[in-house]
Amino acid sequence: MRNAMKVAKWEVKRNLRNKSFLIGLFLTPVLFLAFMFLGSIFGGSEPEEEVSTRVLISDELGVTDVIEETVAAHDLNWELETTEIGYEEILEVLKEAENTAYIVFEQEGFENGVVPVHTSEEISPYFMNQVQVLEVPLKTLQMKKLGLTEEQLAAFSKQLTFEEKLIDETEETAEEESNLVGTDPLERIIPGAFAGIILLSIIFSGMYIFQSASQEKKDKVAEIVLSSLTAAELMQGKIIGYFILGMIQAVVFLGFGIPIALWKLDIPIFDYLVGPEILLYVLIAILGYLLFAALFVGVGATMADMSSAGNFQGMVMMLPFLPFVFIGPVISDPSGLIAQIGTYIPFTAPGVLLLRLTFLEEWPWIEIVISLVILIVSIWLFMKLAGKIFKTGILMYGKNATPKEIWKWIRS
Amino acid sequence: MDAFLKVDYLKKSFKNVEVLKGVSFEVYKGEIMAILGPNGAGKSTTIRNIMGIMYPDEGSITFQGHTEIPRNKIGYLPEERGLYKNVKVMDILLYLAELKNYPIKKAKERALTYLKKFGLEGKENSSVEELSKGMGQKVQFIASILHEPEFLILDEPFSGLDPVSQELFKEEIRNLAKGGTAILLSSHQMNLVEEMCDRLFLIHRGQKVIYGSMDNVKKEYANFKCTIRGKNNLEILHGLPEVQRVEQQEETSILYLTKDVNVASWLKHLPEQLEINELSIDRISLHEIFIDIATDKNMLREEVAIDA
Repeated sequence: MRNAMKVAKWEVKRNLRNKSFLIGLFLTPVLFLAFMFLGSIFGGSEPEEEVSTRVLISDELGVTDVIEETVAAHDLNWELETTEIGYEEILEVLKEAENTAYIVFEQEGFENGVVPVHTSEEISPYFMNQVQVLEVPLKTLQMKKLGLTEEQLAAFSKQLTFEEKLIDETEETAEEESNLVGTDPLERIIPGAFAGIILLSIIFSGMYIFQSASQEKKDKVAEIVLSSLTAAELMQGKIIGYFILGMIQAVVFLGFGIPIALWKLDIPIFDYLVGPEILLYVLIAILGYLLFAALFVGVGATMADMSSAGNFQGMVMMLPFLPFVFIGPVISDPSGLIAQIGTYIPFTAPGVLLLRLTFLEEWPWIEIVISLVILIVSIWLFMKLAGKIFKTGILMYGKNATPKEIWKWIRS
Repeated sequence: MDAFLKVDYLKKSFKNVEVLKGVSFEVYKGEIMAILGPNGAGKSTTIRNIMGIMYPDEGSITFQGHTEIPRNKIGYLPEERGLYKNVKVMDILLYLAELKNYPIKKAKERALTYLKKFGLEGKENSSVEELSKGMGQKVQFIASILHEPEFLILDEPFSGLDPVSQELFKEEIRNLAKGGTAILLSSHQMNLVEEMCDRLFLIHRGQKVIYGSMDNVKKEYANFKCTIRGKNNLEILHGLPEVQRVEQQEETSILYLTKDVNVASWLKHLPEQLEINELSIDRISLHEIFIDIATDKNMLREEVAIDA
């Protein structure tokens, strides 16, 4: 174990001094976050282009205060201005102006329930929708004027809703309701996303293991190193070392992600992160890493060169991306059949499990336990196999091993 | 003398092909022992078995009486060798020393001394990628001896080195042996082996062919041969005394003489009708013995039979 730690330390040190690793370390989260926020960047740029709408009000009813409050409350991009200018003149002004509206509040319109709004030719496409928010406060005002009490007002302004209730599935609906309404979904999603980032980071570093094992062969260092320690120690050292690198990647990722998320989303992320769920999430992520690390270190040792990966090796490399196939079905039905199948396949279990736990209110503990057992058994199995493959493969120079050869090493 | 390594009746097969067929030898402290043989004879397999990178099917390997490999006491320069790219020379030297549990501070001092000795002064902070092949080989050599090993295995240490570097390596290897290190050296450069080694083990097709001290081997196998340039009748040459065998190619004849020949009197008795444009007498070199075995010419077998 001491030797394995030496190897781990070396791998960490070597990579942290390697420029291309460092660039990757910082570039990955930057690119990732850049794509994630690309939408909101474009979305965010629109209001900047949008010039605020100038709204002229002719107020015969004394509603200006109420309107000002409403506009402020809804954060509308309006410049309110009361005006005394006559009707005809205003229309002339509107013809010339841009982004200007004229709303007339007069007794007649109030009684008929129609408030005339004149706008200039060019106006924000959302303006007429925005105007609608004035309806409720004005109505309230109107009713107040009619002399209704507060209670009557409250009863009156309560809207009627139609609630769908199915007879035979009452229980489930109730559950789903509680899922949506009862608790804050962010409570699960944020730790889930957190664990997802950890899983992603360590899977990336699992890919580095792959490269590292095959590079070891290409550089022909393996035999020199193996004169000082056993193949198993070298393999363990690599797995531990790249795990640490993966965690560093995750920390860098979160170091970028959390401040940006705090700034953009305005959610108290830390409050959500501190909870017992996070432990299970992180455990799943680590198990996922160990599985893929064993797989990659073994397969990496069978390859002379990254660029000449055979079909077999290429397929293995794609395995970590298998959970993406499940994302759609799992989100649409987190406790459905496909989600369950995904939970029981070792390669997809970490990803699918994380996804399901994020979306499910009631955790299916039995499934979780079965899935974890499957994962742990597969890790044990793959570590064994990888050890055998690694021992022989790392010393085979100049060519990639065929699946047949690998099978023979496993059996020997 | 104290044997550091004892290899006893080693057998190893790959895919039903027996690569080692019962190989036995010893390496003593303070000696340079050569393991020789044509490509594919089983040298690297033997070495890998010694290093515990492979395990023998049969036979035993002991280090000072113990079966466990004292990894920290062994230095190893494999035939297939390289260094991690894009790391600093000093970093990799210290890493490899650390793997041997050698104190870092001492390793650093020794590394600087050796780098200087091999003309790589100031290269300690260069990246391995920047080194030439020869420089890289020097660094690998330093790495294998940095931790003051008691037993050193050098598999083809001279391949790809220029003559100046070869001399440097030779001198250093000799010094180490003088200091008490047991050295097992495999090489194809017979002249170097002949110069440096105390004992040799010649292996062919996984079997021992010659094993003994260099002096004995020379005495036993390196008989005199006489090379004559000139047109001569093969039968006359055959009829000469003390001639075991004659090889004739155009105008050059090589006469292999028996072991106990007295060169001076033999020369005196050469018949006058021989056409001699050029004549030289020398011992069969290790190189020739080697080629003879590698090409299955049986010359040695005959001699071995005669000896027996």
